[in-house]
Amino acid sequence: MTNKPKVYALTTCPYCKRTRRFLDAHKIDYDCIEVDLLDDAKQDEVLDEIEKLTGRRSFPVVVVGKEIIVGHDEEKLKKALKI
Amino acid sequence: MTVHEQARVYCPVCQAKFRFDPSWKEGDIVICPICGQRLKLKLSGQEWIGDRPEKGTEKEIRDRVDEYARLKGYIFNDMKEELLEGLLAKNKRSGDFYCPCRMEHVPEFMCPCKPTRGGDVERNGKCYCGLYWKKT
Repeated sequence: MTNKPKVYALTTCPYCKRTRRFLDAHKIDYDCIEVDLLDDAKQDEVLDEIEKLTGRRSFPVVVVGKEIIVGHDEEKLKKALKI
Repeated sequence: MTVHEQARVYCPVCQAKFRFDPSWKEGDIVICPICGQRLKLKLSGQEWIGDRPEKGTEKEIRDRVDEYARLKGYIFNDMKEELLEGLLAKNKRSGDFYCPCRMEHVPEFMCPCKPTRGGDVERNGKCYCGLYWKKT
């Protein structure tokens, strides 16, 4: 895989934690942006990015190539990651 | 008119007022019927307001969450403890028990959030973060 999956998460969101645990358990190398830990300017920028991708501000968001998965969904993750 | 006639109590969590029961007195602990918060009654001038006696504690949010579910007849699932952890983390970082799955730290998103109090669970079967569920 050329592009690492990218995860947008909130540190307080249990569904985001489940998604990260799932990726870790499957030894998937991914980048994670903890949106609530960013400074205000960067946070606005990233939230705009999420809204453009998904049309809303909901977490977690996982980007795998052209696939965008909103919410913790193991079946969709498996399919997108081909695992 | 005495203070008790047609009096209402202001709840600082849901920022709404509910009817004062004439049998109540200053210092009594009552439950807000709108959000489930435990409140200590205080008279401020001619206004009854509710103080949060356990403000910011784990006991406060656990009591509120359980009371709200009881008042509305909602149930929890196996995510309850993880969501409570999220609420506690929100309080630590952002100063109050805001929804753990939202970015916005505004009073309307204090748990139970305004959309939940406005009927989201009835409409969608659950609240935004999945803490409260409608009985099936």
